[in-house]
Amino acid sequence: MKIRIHELLAGAALAGALSFGLSAHAEGLGTPDDPVEIHMLANEAFANQWQQNMVPEFNKAYPNIKVVIDGVPYSELLAKSLLDATGPDPRYDILIADDPWVPQLAEAGVLLDLKGDEVAGWTADDYEWDDFYAAPLAASEWKDVQYGVPLRSNLLLMFVNKSIYEAADLPAPTPELTWEDYLEQAPKLVMDRDGNGQADTWAIDTYFTRDALTPTIWQTIMNSNGGKLLTDDGKAAFNDETGVEALKTHIKLLDFAPPGAVSHGFNESLQAFRQGQTATMFMWGSVFKGTAVSPETTTLTPDEVGIQIMPVGSKTGGAHRGIWSGTINNKSENRQAAWALLEWLSSKEGEQWHANTLGVFPARKSTLDSTPDSEWMAPVFVALKNGYSVAGEGGMWRPRTPKSDAVQQVLADEVARAIAGQITPEEALDTAADRVNDVLN
Amino acid sequence: MAVETAMKGARKARPRKTVPMIDWLTRWSFMMPAIVILLAVLAYPILYTLEISFSSLDLGSFTANEWVGWENYGDVLKDRGFWNAMKVTGIYLAWAMPIQMILGFGIAYLINAEWKGRGVVRALFLIPMVVAPVVAGGIWRMMLDPLWGLVNYLLGLLGLGNPDWLGNPTLAMATLVIIDTWRWTPFVVLIATAALMALPKDVFEAADIDGANWWTKLWSITVPLLVPIIAATFVVRWLGAVKMFDIALAATRGGPGDATNVINLYIYEQAFRSLRFAESAAMAVIVLVMTMMLTGLFLIGTRKLEDNY
Amino acid sequence: MTAATLPGYRKRKRVGRQVRIWAGVALCVLFLFPVFWMVLSSFKLPRDIFTTPPVLFFDPTLETYISYMQRADISRRMVNTVTVATGSGLLSIVAGAMAGYALARIRIKGAATLGVLILMSRGVPPIALAVPMFLVARKLGLTDKHITLILAYCTFLIPYVMWLMRGFFKGLPKELEEAALLDGCSRYGAFFKIIVPISLPGLLSTLIFSVILAWEELLFALVLTNRNASTIPVAIAGIAGDTVNGANWGALTAVGTLTVVPVVIFALLVQKWLIKGLAEGATKG
Repeated sequence: MKIRIHELLAGAALAGALSFGLSAHAEGLGTPDDPVEIHMLANEAFANQWQQNMVPEFNKAYPNIKVVIDGVPYSELLAKSLLDATGPDPRYDILIADDPWVPQLAEAGVLLDLKGDEVAGWTADDYEWDDFYAAPLAASEWKDVQYGVPLRSNLLLMFVNKSIYEAADLPAPTPELTWEDYLEQAPKLVMDRDGNGQADTWAIDTYFTRDALTPTIWQTIMNSNGGKLLTDDGKAAFNDETGVEALKTHIKLLDFAPPGAVSHGFNESLQAFRQGQTATMFMWGSVFKGTAVSPETTTLTPDEVGIQIMPVGSKTGGAHRGIWSGTINNKSENRQAAWALLEWLSSKEGEQWHANTLGVFPARKSTLDSTPDSEWMAPVFVALKNGYSVAGEGGMWRPRTPKSDAVQQVLADEVARAIAGQITPEEALDTAADRVNDVLN
Repeated sequence: MAVETAMKGARKARPRKTVPMIDWLTRWSFMMPAIVILLAVLAYPILYTLEISFSSLDLGSFTANEWVGWENYGDVLKDRGFWNAMKVTGIYLAWAMPIQMILGFGIAYLINAEWKGRGVVRALFLIPMVVAPVVAGGIWRMMLDPLWGLVNYLLGLLGLGNPDWLGNPTLAMATLVIIDTWRWTPFVVLIATAALMALPKDVFEAADIDGANWWTKLWSITVPLLVPIIAATFVVRWLGAVKMFDIALAATRGGPGDATNVINLYIYEQAFRSLRFAESAAMAVIVLVMTMMLTGLFLIGTRKLEDNY
Repeated sequence: MTAATLPGYRKRKRVGRQVRIWAGVALCVLFLFPVFWMVLSSFKLPRDIFTTPPVLFFDPTLETYISYMQRADISRRMVNTVTVATGSGLLSIVAGAMAGYALARIRIKGAATLGVLILMSRGVPPIALAVPMFLVARKLGLTDKHITLILAYCTFLIPYVMWLMRGFFKGLPKELEEAALLDGCSRYGAFFKIIVPISLPGLLSTLIFSVILAWEELLFALVLTNRNASTIPVAIAGIAGDTVNGANWGALTAVGTLTVVPVVIFALLVQKWLIKGLAEGATKG
């Protein structure tokens, strides 16, 4: 018999440890006397908002399901989800997964098939799967199994400060704007508006720093020119001319970006745009409210902020997908209650409530075709509809593989080195391709 | 003095060699709490890390899947990122350690005076260490940004240009060292102050009466007496600095490019961002072995110094 | 030394003392400037934090403090942070100081090697420890418990305390406890009655540092806790990594300021106690 040392140690430690009682789990949807408690692991960025606002609304429909939401910072959420989900007695019934995570969680064998017989038996007849746009729904599909439903949809879009375009005597961009137009206008958007001899307005700020999301800008440019990240049999396909040109375009943006932009990412580009210092920003649509509407966080107003897909390449416009999906641990004993929450929040009514009350972006055609309660959301809906179709067309998402995050980290490493000027774009993509093929092997 | 009279009086009061076994146990009992806690908490994680560094990891259970021998190590050793991270860590340590030690003990010696506000100053000196690394890194980013940072605004007023503290690879390393020095020099200062306070005053009084100048006092009394604590502070700071990654993550994110991607940040990313736990375990083992060897060298050096004085 | 040189010497010493005091104050101000900027930013509205040029005068607001203090998890996490930091600080100062004393003063065969091994365990990258620690805690049903985090922090605090205290103890004159031992004092008696009181400055400084190191630790806290034992650094990392609205620097600097206050108060109290203890020690001697 083979006994591992660490098992012996763990066993010895176990003997001295507290024993914990196994509590009986209430089945189904709970009763007033015996409510069900379900646990959800979510991104810290919205866990609190959901706990405070979404859960009470849910409890109006399902009063006997108690929902506890724990937040974890984004960068540790996947590792944390895996660590919990793979245990014999996982704490979390619901895991909230970012766009590239479902293949990784599914491959670890922890996710419940939401279109399987069991869940289908719990699903209301009027829950329309076909009502979702294909691209956001595909984010939580892996190997033809639907493991999740879109709960918070998002796209990398182009934000426009119309006042700056006006000051530069340039027409405000439309979704038809091409990369040629964009790059031709960019130099004119670097301006000295207060006339002190130093530039104080720039054309662009976006992800340039060393970050897993920085390659998404390059990827989107490449995808809209018809380039692909991986071949169908899972090999690196990005180190071709399209990829290199796209990376050169990404780097070229630095010429029209504020000083120090090479170390700018999500927060800094957001600040620069909100301060009215940049004419455009390639950024996640979800920041729109804090960028154009809320006076405590922005100096801009909804009238002067435009939102649309990223410029058009040789094939399509650009919009990189980023969907937060709700998934259920297949070991959960509260699967039915967990599904009740996901089903409610992603249903037509739930999604409309979610969008109108919390400003969260929807994924259903019915919601996007409705008139939102807040006026500022109408142009966002237009951009989202447009974006979902181009994202689907160009395959604009992070690699769909169980090693997605490892691949993305390699891309982040090498793209960052090219942006910082440590190596050429060609070298960067060739190195990245070798490393990606190693990872995927 | 009380102690001396006690010594004289007690010389023959007690026969030597009481019960050797009990004495042996008493001696060891001083070490026991530390040993027990560390063994209970550390033994398994270290063995686990060793095991998975030689295995492929099953992400479905986080256990070792199959023994792959030196494969993970081979992968690590041919990983350009790993070697870059080692180099970057080396540069960072070569700058940060001497600066912090010299500055720390220098400041402690300089400000060593007894006055009412001393306790308050000491407490305030702690603050840079207490600010959470994420916030500290962010504050520095805020102050150093060429666009809205205070530092470059002041430099601009003085006509000193607009350096890109975080965007230029060389400057970014300097920035990292500056932030780390800001955070940890106070640690060295406070340890050194505590050590200076504990120095026997009569020796200095004797030297004063002999008319020794401050330089002689520094080199022939203070430094020799401080050698054990200087060495201990160095080793402790060194072992802390080797593990530094939070400030790099918050201030430079390892960039620009990979100019400030220190080894522990790299290992962290491999494990938590890329989910490559087996490779990261191999890296951790390599780093541990190298750290142990270097620490061993420092300890030998310490012993030499302690023996010399 | 003649009587004539004494006044000159005294005067020189007095001037030196003034220089030392002012140098200390100036350095303190220099080191605290980033902290001042943090506190200042915490009273700004988010839109006032990143302005060109940076502003010193603005409409101060308490909004971030109010909105963040109302969040239940911040106060819960504050209590957890205090519990875990003091718990691990105290546990490791006791275990570490005893081990440090043994290494410095008691001759035990093999202890020196063991001490070096313990010290070197501090070189293990924390990332490598966090996951297996979680696996053990999960097996024992101890995830998300304060004690788990306290013990995890001891892994880096004990070696640290042990080695620093070894340094302090080595600097003490040997005659002290030799006399006590000969006087019939037990080893424990000598340690607690003679060595500990005289090493108070070092012990308390080390304790403060231990508490600080535990106070700001993020990685173990992230991995080993979910809710009940979650600490402030996790909340801070969450605010900094806000992927919905962008990092709220008002909130970060406010929570950053709030976490600094208790430690500074703690340090001031300890200082007071320390100086009182020293004065008493001096009068006794």
